[in-house]
Amino acid sequence: METNNGMPDGSPKGLTQENIPKNDQVIEITITLPTQAYFLSGIRDFTLNLIKNTSDFSEQWAYRFQSIVDELCNNAIEHGSRGGDLISIVFQNAPSEYIQILVSDHGSGNTHMKAEEINKIVNERREQNILNGLIRGRGLPKIVSEWTDELEFMNNPDGGITVRVRKYLNDPKFQKEIGGGLENPSHIVLN
Amino acid sequence: MTDINIIIEEMAIGSADKSAKILTFKGQLDETNVDEKAKEIYALIEQTPKNLYLLFDFENLEYMNSKSIGYLTDWYSKVTEGGGKVVIAKARPNILDILEVVGLTQLVSCFPTLDEAKLALLS
Repeated sequence: METNNGMPDGSPKGLTQENIPKNDQVIEITITLPTQAYFLSGIRDFTLNLIKNTSDFSEQWAYRFQSIVDELCNNAIEHGSRGGDLISIVFQNAPSEYIQILVSDHGSGNTHMKAEEINKIVNERREQNILNGLIRGRGLPKIVSEWTDELEFMNNPDGGITVRVRKYLNDPKFQKEIGGGLENPSHIVLN
Repeated sequence: MTDINIIIEEMAIGSADKSAKILTFKGQLDETNVDEKAKEIYALIEQTPKNLYLLFDFENLEYMNSKSIGYLTDWYSKVTEGGGKVVIAKARPNILDILEVVGLTQLVSCFPTLDEAKLALLS
């Protein structure tokens, strides 16, 4: 059943055919989260469904974004925040172009670092052997860095850090050779 | 805490100097549970420091984070230092994908079936 604004009955008030984001518009969703890892399973589910349902990225990439968001949030909670603080996650989806995710903390954590220090550590650990004797330290350099086209750490005015990652759907500049062919994030196949 | 269940079972291998076990994972390994669950695996490795053969059945493992991969790498190191072996069976595509991106599949062999994994573990 449709209402007079052309939307199904029961749709949220104010939602019309005209204000649903078009393919060339960026859809932005912001989530503010208490600094407890307990909430991250819900964020992982949200990320998986968001990418699957609102972007042209393949299911494999939806799972990859799930890991990316989980790793970024874990870092923000563990290093950038103290208990009782908040972090924010911003999803920006340009459906036919890219997904961009920004995770921000307030810099209140005991092991908080400046953007420049994090960048240095990530670059050093990118090339490290997997058998480095460490339990931690693979999230940003091995997972987030490998699965995104842009990774940037920025110092916030309040002392915290914002990490920005972006993955393009089909930008030749960032395409990688995989299994003899070029990677296509909408149709990637595991070897 | 996110749900994760690990069942540890003895594998009958007919050898007195080797111990083989299947570890069946069900659920998600994340920041809320991985430290606690890792203790169980470390206890297992400490009980049998030599010739321990571990088969990780990941069929029902839905998610693992980088820290759980760090633990897996450490277990691999400890088990192989003691002359044992580690293999993975039936991992889902998203799990294989993350193991591959960190380079763990270069160390630990992954098999699509339990039978293939058992064969490789004990060969």
